[in-house]
Amino acid sequence: MKLRLQNWLRRIGFYLTIFGPGLITASADNDAPGIATYSMAGSTYGYRFLWLIVVVTVGEVTIQEIAARMGAVTGKGAADLIREQFGVRVTAFSMLCLLLANLGTTVAQFAGIAAGMELLGVTRYVAVPLAALAVGYVVLRGSYERVEKILLVLSLAALSYVVTAFVIRPAWGDVLRHAIVPTFEMDPDYILAVLATIGTTITPWAFVYMQASVADKGVTTEDYRYTRVDVVGGAAWGNVVSAFIVICTAATLYSHGVQVESAEQAALALEPLVGQWARYLFSTGLLGASLLAASVLPLSTTYAICEAFGWERGLDHRTREAPVFYGLYAAIIVLSVLVVLIPGIPLFLMMWLSQSVNAVLLPVLLILVLKIANDGRVMKGWTNSRFQNLFTWGLTGLIGVATIALLITPLLN
Amino acid sequence: MLYASQLQGRQIWDAWSLPVGECVDVLVGALDRPYPPLRALAVRNGESDMYFISAEQISSLFPSINLKVPQTEITSYEPRGDELWLIDQVLDRQIVDTEGRRVVRVNDLQIMRIRDQFCLTGVDVGAQGLLRRLGLGKPVQAVANAFGRSLPSGVIPWEDVAPLQPDEPLRLQVSRDKITRLPPADIASILNDLDRRTSEALATAFSDETLADTLEESPSDVQVAVLSRLSPGRAADILEEMGPDEAADLLADLSREASTELLALMEDEEAEEVQTLLRYPVDSAGGIMTTEFARVPDHLTIGQTLDYLRRSPEATEDEVMHYVYLVDGQARLQGVISLRDLVMAPRDDPLGTWSDDDPVTVGPHTSQEDVAYLVAKYDLLAVPVVDEQTGELLGIVTVDDAIDAVLPTAWKKRIPRFF
Repeated sequence: MKLRLQNWLRRIGFYLTIFGPGLITASADNDAPGIATYSMAGSTYGYRFLWLIVVVTVGEVTIQEIAARMGAVTGKGAADLIREQFGVRVTAFSMLCLLLANLGTTVAQFAGIAAGMELLGVTRYVAVPLAALAVGYVVLRGSYERVEKILLVLSLAALSYVVTAFVIRPAWGDVLRHAIVPTFEMDPDYILAVLATIGTTITPWAFVYMQASVADKGVTTEDYRYTRVDVVGGAAWGNVVSAFIVICTAATLYSHGVQVESAEQAALALEPLVGQWARYLFSTGLLGASLLAASVLPLSTTYAICEAFGWERGLDHRTREAPVFYGLYAAIIVLSVLVVLIPGIPLFLMMWLSQSVNAVLLPVLLILVLKIANDGRVMKGWTNSRFQNLFTWGLTGLIGVATIALLITPLLN
Repeated sequence: MLYASQLQGRQIWDAWSLPVGECVDVLVGALDRPYPPLRALAVRNGESDMYFISAEQISSLFPSINLKVPQTEITSYEPRGDELWLIDQVLDRQIVDTEGRRVVRVNDLQIMRIRDQFCLTGVDVGAQGLLRRLGLGKPVQAVANAFGRSLPSGVIPWEDVAPLQPDEPLRLQVSRDKITRLPPADIASILNDLDRRTSEALATAFSDETLADTLEESPSDVQVAVLSRLSPGRAADILEEMGPDEAADLLADLSREASTELLALMEDEEAEEVQTLLRYPVDSAGGIMTTEFARVPDHLTIGQTLDYLRRSPEATEDEVMHYVYLVDGQARLQGVISLRDLVMAPRDDPLGTWSDDDPVTVGPHTSQEDVAYLVAKYDLLAVPVVDEQTGELLGIVTVDDAIDAVLPTAWKKRIPRFF
């Protein structure tokens, strides 16, 4: 009996060392831009976005699995592989896209911190610079691992959406129908919302982060199957929460004709559960997930870019040894803070609009990744399945069509 | 001066100025030479299979690639398997700069004509190489010139680099020999900067001694990863080579089965020392102490002590000997003498007249912070660890291990490795 318990504990210990990247990227699904996008979509279009959540869930699972597999097979980061396979020009272009997408998302995270703190009555001119200093201090001083756990717990506040949905008892039949039957509208706002939903769920940075952490943990092809469980489980779970955000906002706000344009309105979706405490619960979730992403994002972006161009990188180097690394890291944070502090800038809009930009830039990474993940010389028998290729090409196509549609609809009307 | 990226995709012309095909790769051989000579160009003509043109048949590479012979007289070169494919295997990859002791990325490769041969002379790892490949070399140069500045050149001589291919053990050997000459701390940071496959391939190619020294300087996750790739027998050898305190720390990070198995494979004496250390918590004096130190019987004279130390196998193994410890028949600490005093004192004086009879000591369960505090307060290079009950001298904590507690080394303050 005792022996069995020991074995069991040891196995849990083993899983815990392998698990992790999936959990982080899953909680990042519901970071500030994520919550903003799903709230906006649910309150503006009701349940009509649920089918898209199903599609992007499959998309995220597919693409994050490719990232993890590439990391396990090659032991290298995405930027490293892109540089080795495609040379300087393609690398420079793709890193520029990555930088733009991640800069936008970092701005959105700080906007989330600003919105969350303003709900608690703290002005953003105090909260955001303080948050930036705290993030920089924690990351550079290296107490990040401990802080990560606290932030993960805070971001669990997003789970309250799941509970809320069962309190408000939506028409489950409708919910199910919309999750299966797709609808599409030729309206610029709708298309922007579609792009934002794709862009906030499937992000370049989550891909890069996933591959790097799997490679770093030294996961080999032998124990890759455990990592696959973590990745697929994490991505699926993150999106279940996303779907419930859409359901809650659709049932409470859309039905009353409230289109979310601010964090205050978005918090109303949690009112059926906790009443007047909704704003506190909402801002807790927003702050936890935003701080977590704001800690990971600028650093993984900087690391990828320096890796691609061979500049000294990593926190074990001193500032003078790795000027580009630290300079770029500081620039991303400072720039993001400055944007959020522009007087009168609409925080909520910025949070989800940045995700549309993310989606438009995503195909650049997807196409390069598809080429690498199908290259037998690099992947050594671990190339993509046919379904993964079809689906990823399909998604790339969907983003392309949506982008073109977005550009031409104003001309047609 | 010519660069490999300028050859890539360039048309090759035969002696009658007729197109032969496009250059797809550049093969160099004799890699142990300071400037490896060009062996052949890999050529592709349309959709046809790739073939190779021997270096002897090439008359010029720049401004255009011209052959000495007409197309019909090209004799195809057969690769021998020891060539380095510059575009496929080196360009854009990470290599080790053994002068600068760091990992760099190859932005371009410099080729020069030395007497009658084309040779690989250097590796461009700087901004110039990047800009050239982006097609921005000349404009940026012009802007720089306008401001009266020149772009820094980032070319490293080929002699000073070590290319790394994990799946080619033969070629790894040359690079390994170059890297082995670096200080262990630099090797550890190079291993840390390389991708995991390459760093593991390199680490397993090192000699036991180099690997042991390197592991002592590496963060614990790298230690575990490297050790778990070795055969148990070799892993045990490496642990024997490491200092007992470092070996104990490493074993503490492994699963219980693994550490038991490795301890069983280690030689009894070393295994016993390590096991003693494993009994104490990692952040106590017992956990960070080493059992390798110089001890002498307390009744000797200065001269006898020096002779004793030269013959003592224990003292020979000791890596740093700041102090010599005086012990009685029951291995109880009786005094300490610094190496300086020992060397400067007259030969015939008894040890007791020069030694400190009441040195600062700590117990095995003293916390690491307290040890660091004492070391700093009394300006010690090492502090002896003494059993509280028996007074037996168990080991010493050296200053570098003690201050790790208050001043974490760069490795220890890292978050997930890739940051």
